[in-house]
Amino acid sequence: MLTPEQVKNILKENCINLRFHARGGQGGVTASNLCVEAFYGYGVCQPRFGAERMGSPTESYVRLSADYNLVRDNSAVYAPHFVSVLDPSLLTEVDVTAGVPHGGWLIVNTTMNQLEIQDIVKRKDLNIATIDATRIAFDILGRNITNTIILGALVRVSHLVTLDELADAILKRFKGAIAGKNVEAIKQAIEETCLYETGNDPDFSENTKVPYQQVSLGLPGYQELDIAGVWYCDEDVIEVGSDQVITGSWGEYDMIWDEEKCTDCAQCWFICPDFAILRKKGEDGLWHMSGIDTIHCKSCQNCLEICPVQAISKKLKQSPASCATPE
Amino acid sequence: MSIEPMKLFFKPIKEPIKTAMIGNYAVAGGVTQTDPDVICAFPITPQTQSVEGLSDVVHQGRLKAAFVNVESELAAMSYSTAACAAGARTFTATASQGYLLMAEALPMAVGWRVPLTMMISARAFNAPNLSIWNSWEYTLIDFGWNCIVSENVQETYDAAILSVMISEDSLFPTMFVHDGFIISHSVQQLTLIPDEVVLNLTPKKPRHHITPEHPGTWGGIVTPDYFMEGRLGLDIAKKPVLGQIEDVFKRFKKATGREYNSIESYNLDNPSKTAFITMGSVCGNIISWMTKNKDIGLIKMRTYRPFPYEELQKIVQEHDIEKLIILEKSDSLNNLLPPFATSIATALYPLGTLFRTFIVGLGGRDVTKDEFDVAKKKMQSITDMKGQLYQYLGVRETKNKMHGVDI
Ligand code: SF4
Ligand code: SF4
Repeated sequence: MLTPEQVKNILKENCINLRFHARGGQGGVTASNLCVEAFYGYGVCQPRFGAERMGSPTESYVRLSADYNLVRDNSAVYAPHFVSVLDPSLLTEVDVTAGVPHGGWLIVNTTMNQLEIQDIVKRKDLNIATIDATRIAFDILGRNITNTIILGALVRVSHLVTLDELADAILKRFKGAIAGKNVEAIKQAIEETCLYETGNDPDFSENTKVPYQQVSLGLPGYQELDIAGVWYCDEDVIEVGSDQVITGSWGEYDMIWDEEKCTDCAQCWFICPDFAILRKKGEDGLWHMSGIDTIHCKSCQNCLEICPVQAISKKLKQSPASCATPE
Repeated sequence: MSIEPMKLFFKPIKEPIKTAMIGNYAVAGGVTQTDPDVICAFPITPQTQSVEGLSDVVHQGRLKAAFVNVESELAAMSYSTAACAAGARTFTATASQGYLLMAEALPMAVGWRVPLTMMISARAFNAPNLSIWNSWEYTLIDFGWNCIVSENVQETYDAAILSVMISEDSLFPTMFVHDGFIISHSVQQLTLIPDEVVLNLTPKKPRHHITPEHPGTWGGIVTPDYFMEGRLGLDIAKKPVLGQIEDVFKRFKKATGREYNSIESYNLDNPSKTAFITMGSVCGNIISWMTKNKDIGLIKMRTYRPFPYEELQKIVQEHDIEKLIILEKSDSLNNLLPPFATSIATALYPLGTLFRTFIVGLGGRDVTKDEFDVAKKKMQSITDMKGQLYQYLGVRETKNKMHGVDI
């Protein structure tokens, strides 16, 4: 692990990159903002651009340096030196170590040990820090808000900001008792963080970005698209565009289809803007409605309104249990 | 984001404040400080928070402005132009399809010489697919608005103030642009200017009035006896605008210490006598990359409209630049060159400077060191102006092949 002096020196001529993995509502973006606010030098922070919903995986990026020109880069962070994972269930869902150089740090809110984590991420060349931020959050904050607590672990392993600098930023941003409690929780996190070191540190002067990562090779190229912008839904759906956008996460309701009442009139199928009404060809050679594609149904309720026999109803979606930014 | 992103602007700003916020809220703050009389815009991604932020400060009572909700961008532009014509300092904002929907009303703001300001969070036009992400749609239609482009959050905050100065000095509407999401939604550090300084920079001196005492007709029909005189009048009136913009930059520097120019250059006296030329957020990407690539320069265009032809020629000549690499986030399916490159080519025509245009970053595709490396390498073998002068970069040809790049 680098000493605070070494980190200061590195920051003079290099940019140190961070990535936060969280779920929508867990405050990953707030955590990355706090890093920038607490940092003495130049810092920028961006979320992964697009629509975010409670519970869906999110990413945010931070660049820090003492050299202004190095944080001027407005592209995404492809080679983070420190990755923080606020929700351990993301380890299996998202490639949290993508682009991390040898000797980079992976910080996880978890009760698992480091060997178990190595197994999941299939990399043994990373330094790993674990912290049971969820327990600390319940103990001190009284609810499951881990975004500031994980910063305690980051302070411990990165020395990018000090506890005092971070506490200052928190006191500026949060009001009243909650600010003090967050600082207390961070202190405890710094003490309780478990380290598992490989003995290596990342080479901060190397950019380990995978070439052309931003171009997503593997998806069809322009020669393989039929008419750009158009694709047909009953053929082999090429994995592009709307099909890849989880419009289902935008909706407020689950739409419920009542098979008993449905007369297969297909009016909902025609009106659905997202091809989210599913149909199957029956033995009679005709199409029959077979359900609703919850991945893509954005609960616009067109189907509910048009159905002549009220075979479609709606139910409010539940938010995930862990959530909320501190107020 | 914090719960009240505009909190800093609820109270008077008495001294420079260092803070960090997203581009759109920074713009809302800058606009607040210019004390507009009318705010009228229709929300569209990725412009939305700028108008939300302004509604916050109006609601808090910090800003005594008419906050006018309208049903579309066409209405927003019509209403804003009329409000400006009545002498009100007016702000609006849009992006992408919203800009297109405004198109019918955009020329009249120029024709009437109203000092309207508009923020654009640059976003692709929807073809062939819907995209909410960044392209330079604002380069694709041009009715004579002034246009300045920002690289980062500090610049777009400053541009909110600069644009009011430019509009009111030139009596031409001014749009200021930042790249959608890349700047509109990124948290970056910036220093806020004290209110008093902003108000001194932007004194209210309305040229236009509509009152019952002094009625008039705006934009009424004329026969062929008159129309061309009106157009030539506009063209002549545009001539001093670049000078006025430079003057605005000078006054701004004197008041804030921050220096801006219509064209800014980096490392032009380099051994390869080659420079990138582009605008907006990608300049930052190049400047970072240049810390390890010292044999190449960058020309960053801040003033895009009116296009500073003479200034560009002067810079290219003074630094003996032989080759320019144009990076552009727009394309033209019909023209020899896309719009940004067309302006540059026109400026370079008498100089004979070699150039190629690389179309990058459409629909939010990230532009990284990969593209800069390839463009630089390709340019090394260019010795004439033959063949197709533009090329798309960072595009898949097939599943595992890049278009025009061997990897
Ligand atoms: S609610 Fe809208 S999106 Fe969902 S199935 Fe019905 S029509 Fe389709
Ligand atoms: S509109 Fe109603 S009845 Fe018709 S297919 Fe859809 S669910 Fe069934």
